[in-house]
Amino acid sequence: MSVYAGLDGGSTYLKAALIDHTGKVLNTGVKSTGIDNNGAAKVLLEQLCRDIGVSRIDYTMATGYSRKILEVADDDVSEITAHAYGVRITAPQGYRPGLIVDIGGQDSKVIYLDDQYRVKNFSMNDKCAAGTGKFMEVIAQILETTIDQVGPISLESTAPCDINSTCVVFAQSEVISLVARKYDRRDILAGMHASMARRIVKMIRKNEMGGDILMTGGGAMNIGLRRAFEDELMRDVYVATHPQFNGAIGAALIASERRS
Amino acid sequence: MNENLNITPMNSAQVRQQERFDRKGTAVAEKMLRQIRELSHMPETLNPFLETLESIFSRREDALRPAGVPTVGTYCVMVPPEMIYAQGAMPVKLCSGSYTAFGIGNDISPRDACPLVKAVMGFEEIDAMPVYQNCSLMAVPVTCDCKKKLAGWLQKRRPTAVLHIPANRDQDEDMESFVGELYRFSETLEQVTGIPLTYKSLADACCMTADAQYQLSRFINLRRKHPLIIRGSFSMSVMNALSYTWLPDWTKQLSDLNDELENLAKQKEMAVKENQPRILLTGSPVIFPNFKIPLLIESMGGLLAADETCMGERGFYDPPAIVDRTVDGMLRALSNRATRPCTCPTFADNQRRIYRIRQLIKDYRIQGVIYHVLRGCLVYDYEYRQLEEEMDRLGIPVIRVETDYNEEDVEQLRIRVEAFIELIKYGGNRS
Repeated sequence: MSVYAGLDGGSTYLKAALIDHTGKVLNTGVKSTGIDNNGAAKVLLEQLCRDIGVSRIDYTMATGYSRKILEVADDDVSEITAHAYGVRITAPQGYRPGLIVDIGGQDSKVIYLDDQYRVKNFSMNDKCAAGTGKFMEVIAQILETTIDQVGPISLESTAPCDINSTCVVFAQSEVISLVARKYDRRDILAGMHASMARRIVKMIRKNEMGGDILMTGGGAMNIGLRRAFEDELMRDVYVATHPQFNGAIGAALIASERRS
Repeated sequence: MNENLNITPMNSAQVRQQERFDRKGTAVAEKMLRQIRELSHMPETLNPFLETLESIFSRREDALRPAGVPTVGTYCVMVPPEMIYAQGAMPVKLCSGSYTAFGIGNDISPRDACPLVKAVMGFEEIDAMPVYQNCSLMAVPVTCDCKKKLAGWLQKRRPTAVLHIPANRDQDEDMESFVGELYRFSETLEQVTGIPLTYKSLADACCMTADAQYQLSRFINLRRKHPLIIRGSFSMSVMNALSYTWLPDWTKQLSDLNDELENLAKQKEMAVKENQPRILLTGSPVIFPNFKIPLLIESMGGLLAADETCMGERGFYDPPAIVDRTVDGMLRALSNRATRPCTCPTFADNQRRIYRIRQLIKDYRIQGVIYHVLRGCLVYDYEYRQLEEEMDRLGIPVIRVETDYNEEDVEQLRIRVEAFIELIKYGGNRS
């Protein structure tokens, strides 16, 4: 069996995925991005191989911010291409390729696909953390919860607050003042998701969109954000099967094509 | 007003500001030149062009020219260089790409003004760039809003000729008014140089530009070769150097470069691998030292095959069609050449830019278009939609990249440019 690895060195976490020649995902793993990206990648890959009893990797492809410094990889590819490849494996059944919304730690991307999963166009947020995982993290911290809890908590909201600032720093002070005015945490979080969804939907150009919308990236694991998206777009939103690992899986898939 | 500056001695804070300005400006110019020189397959005869840029921006020398010839600073492509040469002066194009000067201009202009004009104002304000300082006259066509305000601002500081550009150029009355502008401009030139416009001097100057245009047409034919014989960053250096070079010198330098390129083509020594995506760069001007976009394209595995910008061949590509061999006839031909074929988006209707880009796509086998928007450059940003629709029809991918005069956004731009190049590479042929 041939094994291909994809490494996604993101701003917050380092993600890795192993796939076989049929495109089946064998294992995935995540590690905090420290200062030694390359060392962390090496350790992570070794661990993933050990877990499933694999002794060697045929080809490794890197993507993400630190892709150029990941020496363990044989080559690298940009996140846009990696995500577009990843959804060939991670898209749930019935998804018609059209649009990928990737919510990462420090940037959000919108990628337009044609019906063959090829990239038609893309847009990214500029120099700003609005509408990214970082935004969620900051707000979660103020509300004394963790990032994996903000989604479920927000679903209990009955009257979402209005959060109008798109800048993380301004939104932070807005949330602090909402807390001071004794607003319910559930409503604040629901308001935050609506605000993030609005911000990202603004990046989407609906006339370019053919098929369905698929969410990837760590942000896609947040059920509250997904619901907010569906409300804002007024249509169903699909979530990739391994949202956080979509980039890494895509890189691994490109690795397998490179080898064969 | 200039005399005032000379009488008042600079205080030590101003001296230190100038020193810092010199140091920073030199560092940016040298870095860009180094990056250009580090690209592979640089023809040897490209050196004179890079040396011109080095002398102006790194050593801060004035433009080389015969002794006693004054310079006229021009902005935008509508000022006919033929007239300036005919009346005994040398034109220098002063639209600026300096990050350092931008920093100074930024403090004295509105936030949303374009960085190009901010940088020009910065150079003017710091008064430490000979190529700006020593100009005997500034000639500013009224094109976009920022240029209009720049004209007014310059007028208060030094002799400035303001040229009204007919935004609705296809009407005969508009063209007539621009001919009038050129007559007035000629009078202003005469006041500066003391040399009137005569049939002979203008005809000679037209012959001089015709020589340069002949070399340019040879160069364009060489640029069209497939695989590529000369990188886009090199071509853009050639066109940028034109701004500060005595025209016959530039013509000679370009002739040498053409000879070398023809030889390389004969020996099949092409500049790059055949399978790299061929990219067209268009949009807001790319002016040295702001070469970050061309350098990014070429360092991320793209081929900058062609550019459609006003620092490129626009304004110099079309020869004046002289049918009436009188001074008036030549001025009319120059006035026509400066406006009617021009693809500057400050004209109300600019459909010809789309035609031009379509032609470039065909001639240079372009696979993708990168649309450069300088922050605050509204006229170019307006035309993006139209181009995007047209490219969609042709099945050519296009991406808009917005940037400013600083290096802070290089990493964000890099990922966009890289992903765009991959989009072409992995996307297969969609047409």
